[in-house]
Amino acid sequence: MVAGAAAAVYPLVGTGYGVRALLQMFMWIALAGSWNLISGLTGYVSFGHVAFFGAGAYTTAILVTDAGWPWLPGALAGGVAACLLALLIGYPCLRLKGPYFAIAMLGLNEVLRALVSYFEGLTGGGSGLSLPTLQATERVYYVMGATAAAVTLVTYLIVTSRFGLRLMTIREDEVAAEAMGIDTFRHKLYAFLLSAAGPGIVGGLAARDQGYIEPISVFPLVTTITMIVMVLFGGKGTVWGPVLGAIVLFVAQELVWARFPYYHQLLFGAIIVAVVLLMPRGVLGVLQQKYRLPRTI
Amino acid sequence: MVAQVVVSGILSGALYAMVALGLALIFGVMRVINVAHGPLLMLGAYATYFLYSMTGVNPYLTLPVTMALLFVLGMLLERTLIYRVVDAPELSSLLLTFGISIALVNIAQLLFTSDLRAVEYLTGSWLVGPVALSKSRVVAFVVASALTAGAFLFLRSTKLGKAIRATSQSREVAMVCGIDVGRIHLITFGLAAALAAAGGTLISVIVAIQPEMGQIWTFKSFLVIVLGGAGNYPGALLGGMLLGLIEQLASLVLTTQLSEAVAYVLLVLVLLIRPTGLLGGRQV
Repeated sequence: MVAGAAAAVYPLVGTGYGVRALLQMFMWIALAGSWNLISGLTGYVSFGHVAFFGAGAYTTAILVTDAGWPWLPGALAGGVAACLLALLIGYPCLRLKGPYFAIAMLGLNEVLRALVSYFEGLTGGGSGLSLPTLQATERVYYVMGATAAAVTLVTYLIVTSRFGLRLMTIREDEVAAEAMGIDTFRHKLYAFLLSAAGPGIVGGLAARDQGYIEPISVFPLVTTITMIVMVLFGGKGTVWGPVLGAIVLFVAQELVWARFPYYHQLLFGAIIVAVVLLMPRGVLGVLQQKYRLPRTI
Repeated sequence: MVAQVVVSGILSGALYAMVALGLALIFGVMRVINVAHGPLLMLGAYATYFLYSMTGVNPYLTLPVTMALLFVLGMLLERTLIYRVVDAPELSSLLLTFGISIALVNIAQLLFTSDLRAVEYLTGSWLVGPVALSKSRVVAFVVASALTAGAFLFLRSTKLGKAIRATSQSREVAMVCGIDVGRIHLITFGLAAALAAAGGTLISVIVAIQPEMGQIWTFKSFLVIVLGGAGNYPGALLGGMLLGLIEQLASLVLTTQLSEAVAYVLLVLVLLIRPTGLLGGRQV
């Protein structure tokens, strides 16, 4: 509550850099939370999730530059486009069992990047797209914050619902879930669609904020890696885990690692290895066990 | 034109098959999905590059050295990290090897920078009728075929090879038969790394070397396994050839950029239509 009020008031007192930084932090909270929806709850690791971010970014950029849409509906349309993409990919791929789904998602990034380059006329190809200049940082800040809050809220609603329980059953033992009559495919698909909406919207917002996008900037593997690290670190499958992970790692990134790009990714890789081996349920998971916190944290 | 494409397809097919075989072994024996397979290949390529630039020795002669180096590295990785997730849900091994792959790629970036390197050893092509055969690709084909054949012979006829196959079929029964499963895992991972390294060596003469070169190989190796059938080792051969052919045929009709998407579409199609692979294998 307090944090929410503080965040709402910040742009009035904060510096331009501060607003930008918090904006980015909200973005990561939304991204991490979304990744958690599919990978944390169902156990279906999505290695290509940045694809939805990029899809949202390009959709918004094209709508804003070519069709003259205002950025907010454009960003929402980005979310819709990402969901459509998720439907297209998820429909065939979610019928597969976990590991094969992950493999399929691995290649996704590369394919999308190739396709974006191919459809040069529409997307500006390798030279990218520039959005008309607009001083909208503060408005984007609020929308980004709202998106982050929405994703967290959705996660909470799902985790406390029957739907969420079924998703987690799928994660624990898919065969048993099917034996109990759960339509695993449908459930996975819904979770997947939900998990794509966030990145789609956020991608559109980021495009507006940065004013310029090109394939490499919106489909980088490091975005997926960062999403994964944040959720793993904080605690996958929990509501606040991704938020915690996003905040901690984002702050660490800003303070220390952004200056050393390759060390930064290397560290992320090392953290992933360490978390998987030592702390598979993340920080929140450890706290949950130690202090008997409720499952719906 | 078509002949050229078919020949090119077969030439690359053997390479795909060899690298995929390593991945198939890891998956079959340990049920681990090694996302770090591509980076291992990349390290093999760099090893070849450095050996070549330091000693000037024919890279094909340093191949055994490179393979030995990566064999050891593979065993090290297995003993320190991988063995802990062999019994865990597949999700853990997936994430773990993913983390390892990121770490390896970035260590390479830090140590070697992303400047493109090349091993300029064998250039030019032979002309056989209407077909131009790139020399380095032909040699790669020969070596890859030999190594793959050797691997199969090893698996089929030697005691260790049979032990590996036994463990792949059923770990518990293998243990009951007195096989030291931990040792088998160690050797299998090392062997797979060595095969990937061989791929890296052969490829280093053909394409530019940079830290991210392995990523696409990871994906294509999985595709090969899916095509041939998980756990079906000869299937990897067929899968490799098929991938090579289809890729080259696609490049006839599509632009280079789109033909990258072909591999992906192929994967999705196969997984949808025949998930057990063309030759039948474990249902995943």
